[in-house]
Amino acid sequence: MAALTVRQRTGWTTANLVVVILALIPVLWLVSLSLKTPAAVTDPSIWPSQWTWGNYSGILQSSQFLRPLVNSIGIGLISTAVSVALASMAAYAIARLSFPGKSVLIGLALLIAMFPLIALVTPMFTIERALGLFNTWFGLIIPYVAFGLPLGIYTLSAFFREIPWELEKAAKMDGATPFQAFTMVIAPLAAPGMVTTAILVFLACWNDFLLAISFTSTISSRTAPAAMEYFSGGSVFTTPTGPISAAAVVITIPIIIFVLFFQRRIVAGLTSGAVKG
Amino acid sequence: MIKRRGSRSVRSRVYRIASAAAGLTLAGAALSACANANAGTGPVALNFYLYQDTSMATQDAINNCNAQSHGAYTISYQYLPQASDAQRQQLVRRLVAHDGSMDILGLDVTWEPEFAQAGLIVPWTGAYKAEAEAGTLKPALQTATWNGQLVAVPDNTNTQLLWYRSDLVPNPPTTWAQMIADAEQLAKEGKPHYIEIQGAQYEGATVWLNTMIASAGGSILNASATGPSLGAPAIKALSIMKELADSPAADPSMSVQMENQNRLAMEAGTAAFELNYPFVYPGMKLDNPTLFKSFKWALYPEVTPGVPAKVTIGGIDLAVSAYSQHKNLAFQAALCLRDAQNQLIGANVGGVPPTIASLYNNPALFADYPFHADVLSELENASVRPQTPLYQVVSIDLSHQISPATGISPTGTEQSMASQITNALASKGLVP
Amino acid sequence: MSTTVPATGATTTPAHAKPKRARAQLSEGAKADRRLAFWLCAPAVLVMIAVTGYPLIYAVILSLERYNLELPQDTKFIGFANYGAVLTSQYWWQALWVTLIITAISVGITFVLGMLLAEVLHRTVFFRGGVRTISLIPYGIVTVAAAYSWQFAWTPNEGYLSAAFNNGAPLTNQVEAIAVIIVAEIWKTTPFMGLLLLAGLSLVPDDLLRAARVDGATPWQAFTRITLPLMKPAILVALLFRTLDSFRIFDNIFILTSGNNGTASVSTLGYDNLFNALNLGIGSTIAILIFICVAIIAVIFILGFGTAAPGSDAGKR
Repeated sequence: MAALTVRQRTGWTTANLVVVILALIPVLWLVSLSLKTPAAVTDPSIWPSQWTWGNYSGILQSSQFLRPLVNSIGIGLISTAVSVALASMAAYAIARLSFPGKSVLIGLALLIAMFPLIALVTPMFTIERALGLFNTWFGLIIPYVAFGLPLGIYTLSAFFREIPWELEKAAKMDGATPFQAFTMVIAPLAAPGMVTTAILVFLACWNDFLLAISFTSTISSRTAPAAMEYFSGGSVFTTPTGPISAAAVVITIPIIIFVLFFQRRIVAGLTSGAVKG
Repeated sequence: MIKRRGSRSVRSRVYRIASAAAGLTLAGAALSACANANAGTGPVALNFYLYQDTSMATQDAINNCNAQSHGAYTISYQYLPQASDAQRQQLVRRLVAHDGSMDILGLDVTWEPEFAQAGLIVPWTGAYKAEAEAGTLKPALQTATWNGQLVAVPDNTNTQLLWYRSDLVPNPPTTWAQMIADAEQLAKEGKPHYIEIQGAQYEGATVWLNTMIASAGGSILNASATGPSLGAPAIKALSIMKELADSPAADPSMSVQMENQNRLAMEAGTAAFELNYPFVYPGMKLDNPTLFKSFKWALYPEVTPGVPAKVTIGGIDLAVSAYSQHKNLAFQAALCLRDAQNQLIGANVGGVPPTIASLYNNPALFADYPFHADVLSELENASVRPQTPLYQVVSIDLSHQISPATGISPTGTEQSMASQITNALASKGLVP
Repeated sequence: MSTTVPATGATTTPAHAKPKRARAQLSEGAKADRRLAFWLCAPAVLVMIAVTGYPLIYAVILSLERYNLELPQDTKFIGFANYGAVLTSQYWWQALWVTLIITAISVGITFVLGMLLAEVLHRTVFFRGGVRTISLIPYGIVTVAAAYSWQFAWTPNEGYLSAAFNNGAPLTNQVEAIAVIIVAEIWKTTPFMGLLLLAGLSLVPDDLLRAARVDGATPWQAFTRITLPLMKPAILVALLFRTLDSFRIFDNIFILTSGNNGTASVSTLGYDNLFNALNLGIGSTIAILIFICVAIIAVIFILGFGTAAPGSDAGKR
């Protein structure tokens, strides 16, 4: 690109600043609340009038929060891995192969993506109890995998569709088995798409609230969003603003790190192959 | 196969004897272990479900009871979510699925009819019932009674008082009309004048409504809980609520305020009166010591002059799950958790009023509870919320009618309440 | 989300016509393809059906019954009476109206902002990594956590936003509360929209745009005549998923207002009836109706955007 004019520079700087500020203000507010003492909560300024680390030490020392955090990470990772694996296989079939029932499969995926979760809670709860899955990791992993599949299938089939068929055929003509063609030719090209899909699915699991509060009863499987329901304030009537804010910040940090690591991948994955001017 | 029998047979015989001996020893050890286990199995684990009490009063009570049980049982404190609705949902969901791991349940005082009607908790009979009823305040017992049976044992209770600023109002008002007039006068003088009351669209608003209607001499439901009662007392109650909402005495945020926001507004100095639970007392002491000096209490204002208010009580009752594997022990443990000693701890450490009447004459209560006399007199004359398994629906409908309070029209609201209650009790229609 | 051919080492034969596959009857290759497709799809299909099959059927059955957990002995089959009760209830129509308003406004604004964000992410010349990371944070933060942030911000005497508006309490007023909810939704979902649009944006060849400018087109004309049409598939996916999700909005409303003061959406209405009133019959009916509404929206989208739907073409061979 040609050298930028001053006007262009300031233009982009402003645009960057606007995005950054708008994105960060509510997060900064949470950080500010998490550092305020209970007395300072009634002071509406963003800068805390009284500081304390007590909210953080409180929740980080309590197993009531640490264990749910671990649960969230573990359940999220496992669900994502399984969901992306299954979705890749189905997406490959949709993109590459012709078979009867393809539109049924796509319709099924869309149906599941659309169905309201609230109606599924009670019957799923009954099944999980009967199978002994209630309050276990699997009790959440299995629904998360199922609900991550539609998004994964859609995203990945669009990706696979864009990878030229010729590459595989060339590999096959060179003597590779379909599996080898897949792993050595297609998979590397699809990797960015799979990373993007994995991120989307992971965030969906990380975010889930309704299933987490319905299918868990103790910290052995409760996840972080559900754990915030159990925080208590000074009395039955007080909202525990400090601990909730601290917890909110703590569960956001892994995501920030995650995004920091993968943002290059995410965006590259979405834009790889853009025709260079 | 006849093969070298000689050495092999000797070896095998040795092996056989050795293994037999080993087997016998093991069996013997196992048997004796069994015998020992049967003779004195470890304490039975009882799971007690309640929201997390950060004051540690509940944990103290649990520790006391575990010690006093002499190894018969160990109560394990299992936390429920903080919000009342979330607690109820968890309990119902698991009990309906016959969860056998729940023994003692800490129930809000409005849930007993629902849980009992659905067969989720068991009635108290015989000696347990007698012990539960002995010396317990009548309104608290009423909340634990359904269909003539005692289905839970009252643990603690709660009632609202009138809190006021003696520097603004030397003599507290005794009726609502007077209180509103006082507030309007203060408003004219440019002094802090709000009357803090819970006006948000939630259970607290239903509590306010119930208090007002009961104090006006009426009730929300009829005696058999099959239909609405309301009528003239309800219209009177609603007109007072409307009057407050329209007057300058109403806090602008009233329609979003719950107990805690009322407390904060009072501590911030913008209010002159507050109708709230006693938890505001230690709060004011801690947060605003200057204001605390003129922070006083009085009996809840009357609706009809000369007729004491019938304030609606809150609190927790302890029930035994119908699916518990250790019901007998659960009854005993529950009775221990709410005995006089532990209720005293609950009052002094946890700030919740006891349900055993004699404790109100116990000097140990007085230090942290200077208002115990007023609390007791209100408790003895208290009202309870409508008792029906469909209480949640009724409550949601009612709170949506009276919040925001500016939308109340005394006769119109009374009529729509009546029709909504009729539908709710027939389980017809939606809740908002 | 499409990739064009990267200039890697693999020689690409020109896209000749399909290999001479048997057209009329199934060749061995086609049969092998079908078998492979079956085995590839089976696990995913199995999981999806196993998890949602019984609950779906159960929900439909429940919607045809009068079943209140508080009165379990009164359970009985009542056909479509529940549907009648819901469709004649003011609460349902108000919730539907609120949901449609929130969906339309938030998706519309999110689309515009997402497009702007996609442009920034695509073209910004410095601090690119940082801007991308930070702009993704609203998407990554747990919805419930963000909702608490907004709720505390709008609490009178405690929040900076409430203080900025003269200690107002917008969450008590229906219109203002809905505005607050929409703001929360937009903040949360703009990055997602931006990401999906970015994928589409990156497909638009730069030289095409430059050529248009050379020919005298204004930036706006270049945008509407070149960029937008080329982005159609990405726009469809982004709008479709976002609209479907927005219609089922729950977390933000649940934390901000619990659906009070006339801000209930169809999902919170269903939640209230199902879990607070324990009316499984009515609650399931509401859920089925939500599903029908969502299905209608999806059909409208797919019909409207036609061939750009994923999987709708036979796949590039």
